[in-house]
Amino acid sequence: MGAILVRRLGSAVPIMLIVSLITFGMIHLIPGDPAIAIAGLSATAEQIANIRHDLGLDQPVLTQLWRWYANLFQGDLGRSLLLGQPVTHVMLLRLPVTLALSAYALAITLAIGLVSGIVAALKQNTWIDQAMMVFAMLGISLPNFYLGLLMIILFAVDLGWLPTGGYVALADDPLGWLATSTMPAISLALLLAGLLARITRSTMLEVLRQDYIRTARAKGLSNARVVLKHALANALIPITTVVGIIVSLLISGSVVTETLFSIPGIGQLLTQAVLNRDYPMVQGGLLITTALLVLVNILVDVCYALLDPRVRYDGV
Amino acid sequence: MRRFAITVLTGLGLAATAAQAAPFKCPATGGDLVFGQEANINTLDQMTSSTISTRNIAMNIYESLMTRDENNHPILELAASMTEAPDHLTYTFKLRPNIHFHNGKAMTSADVVASFDRYNKVGNQRSTLDNVKGWDAPDPMTFVIHMKVAQPTFIEALSSFSVPIVIIPAEDRDVPAQQLTHPIGTGPFQLVESVPGSFVKLKRYDGYQPNTSFDNRTGFGGYKVACLDTVTFRIVTEPGARVAGLKTGELQGVEDLPTKSLPELKKDTNITVLPLNNWWIQIANPNTSFPPTDNLLVRKAIQAALDMDEIMDAASDGNYKLNVGFQFPNQPDYTDAGKETYNLHNAELAKKYLAEAGYKGEPVILLTNKDYPPMYNSALVMQQQLQAVGINAQMKVVDWPTSVQMMLNTTEGWNFHFTGWGTQPALGALATMQFMVQPNSTYKPKGGIDDPEVLAAWRGMNDLPTAEGRQAAYAKMQQLVLEKVYAIPFGSFTKVQGVRSNVGGFVPFRIPRFANVWMTH
Repeated sequence: MGAILVRRLGSAVPIMLIVSLITFGMIHLIPGDPAIAIAGLSATAEQIANIRHDLGLDQPVLTQLWRWYANLFQGDLGRSLLLGQPVTHVMLLRLPVTLALSAYALAITLAIGLVSGIVAALKQNTWIDQAMMVFAMLGISLPNFYLGLLMIILFAVDLGWLPTGGYVALADDPLGWLATSTMPAISLALLLAGLLARITRSTMLEVLRQDYIRTARAKGLSNARVVLKHALANALIPITTVVGIIVSLLISGSVVTETLFSIPGIGQLLTQAVLNRDYPMVQGGLLITTALLVLVNILVDVCYALLDPRVRYDGV
Repeated sequence: MRRFAITVLTGLGLAATAAQAAPFKCPATGGDLVFGQEANINTLDQMTSSTISTRNIAMNIYESLMTRDENNHPILELAASMTEAPDHLTYTFKLRPNIHFHNGKAMTSADVVASFDRYNKVGNQRSTLDNVKGWDAPDPMTFVIHMKVAQPTFIEALSSFSVPIVIIPAEDRDVPAQQLTHPIGTGPFQLVESVPGSFVKLKRYDGYQPNTSFDNRTGFGGYKVACLDTVTFRIVTEPGARVAGLKTGELQGVEDLPTKSLPELKKDTNITVLPLNNWWIQIANPNTSFPPTDNLLVRKAIQAALDMDEIMDAASDGNYKLNVGFQFPNQPDYTDAGKETYNLHNAELAKKYLAEAGYKGEPVILLTNKDYPPMYNSALVMQQQLQAVGINAQMKVVDWPTSVQMMLNTTEGWNFHFTGWGTQPALGALATMQFMVQPNSTYKPKGGIDDPEVLAAWRGMNDLPTAEGRQAAYAKMQQLVLEKVYAIPFGSFTKVQGVRSNVGGFVPFRIPRFANVWMTH
């Protein structure tokens, strides 16, 4: 297990360096620069030129690249051009918001996706199976932006149960956080739950047809024991892969939901940074996000090893 | 509204005299007003930002020596008086006494000197001080500006709120651009917390000294009182969410209500809908260095083909006014000079100009973006109208920063750039027409050399000694710009704001002002 961990962590270093170089190159290749965003809509050419000069954007790209790597190797990700604050500081403020929301959405995703997938597999070709899969397709098909708006109208405007938007930190007010995060978490989760339910169903169906399941049933084991101990345990490996992807999507892909509900997470932050060409924020933010995603993948690998002894022994 | 006046001493000075009537008193105090702001805020460093979203919040925190009143006239704010020397080379400001910053420190002329020093170094509009030789503080309550040469429009520039010279504590003199993250001003509200992408919270500054030269708020200045305990600017970029927030009462005020929601909101007795006319000019600027729009006859053909009603209807969802030129009818500088060129929608005339120009179907590229739907929609309708008269109009759609960069840096690959002018027209003709001369010439004159007739009119706007002369020069400049099709202004937008009916004193303006605004409970 330790060897797997060390090897995975070792391979993360070149990944991060390559990502940082690609990010730098791509964001500088896109036309436009942050001075235009800072200057505003009806700014004059003179105002934009002044900002470019003040921020050092009129320096050669290679000089900017050198400065980026020189600072990076000293642990300094730079300062956001638009926010005027260190990138690390901004990311540390925003990450807990996204992680808390992602955890909440993941819990809903797992609860709905796993349960409905297993039940649908066990009740294959019945009305329950059909209903579960229709629900899953609905979740996958409905854009979460639209779903979010529908929920705002129903639960906030008509019923008045939940606030229309805004964010309360979990540490400040857990109930307030629950109130402001429930609709965003559901709108995020329904899409992913649909995906997970379909994967779980097909994986479970495949496992349930295996000889050892028939053997277990022939031995007279209870249905619950067959499903939970023998079938689910083996179905969990592909499901874990999907859950890893879901976690990655939640961390990096919640921009629409964050925008709709005014949640200050990293999805919204990085999208704004790209749109406004905030180079240090994009470079540093994506580097941190990449580190997180690499970490998630390492955790998935560890889960494989825990779930499947063959992976453990092969890895050594 | 103004209970005395700023006395104009024949161009020699402005002085505030004591008020006679009872000043504004809050009908109710307390409460947290939550305002749904349309655009994200990046910085509260007002000296280094010209965005509306920053100004929305920062102008409730900071103040300047001078600002503009409700009718856009220059007024004194932190200055008690201003005297202009007979040779017009020196402006002497006496500061209002007992002004304290939000950190409790008394404001003196040393802070004003430091603020001008910083602005001169990092201020976005630091060209305002190009003609200034220097400034000094002969005593703690006096600040003097020395000019290189007389500039009749200097006070207009100094009082501009585009990128105002806000007064900050001297300790912040050397803070680099964009990095003044904990703004300390002298305004009626002070910063509590700013979470970019989510909200900015302000609270009443108990040490605030209202300007007793006035009896009520006017423009960005006047007699200001913070009736509310706190104001929270919540960033709500999605229009539907702003409407929902206003309906539920979670938001007590919002800006930029979508047109389609207005009929329903107007029926709601808990909501007051407040239109703000003449919010911005929707405009397309030609590239006169790139064929075929380097040919005046082609530009005139394009101008003749356009139906502004159709364009503005699509751009604004029907919330617009037709408007000739670059000022609005309620503004002192307004002129309809050049009106004979506006909204012609005359296909025959357009075809005649095209024939005279020898137009052979060269593409006319409309450079626009989808970040701002009004710009995209106006380009789309213009394309259809141009195609209808036989012009090979093509759209080039990129994002906003890219379109601006292309417009600024290249004179090839595009013929019209679509944008909107909001703040500059509101500031007056001088601020607006700078877009027609170097270094800001939006029409991309060949070789970067301004049209001499336009330049001469611009110099008249700046240098003529009388206001009448400068106004005539502006009318001449507008006439020239429209006749030579150096810009195609389509019309003006109406921005609709809304408040809950328990909110009093909220009057639509260039920014949402929260001094002299109260909530009943």
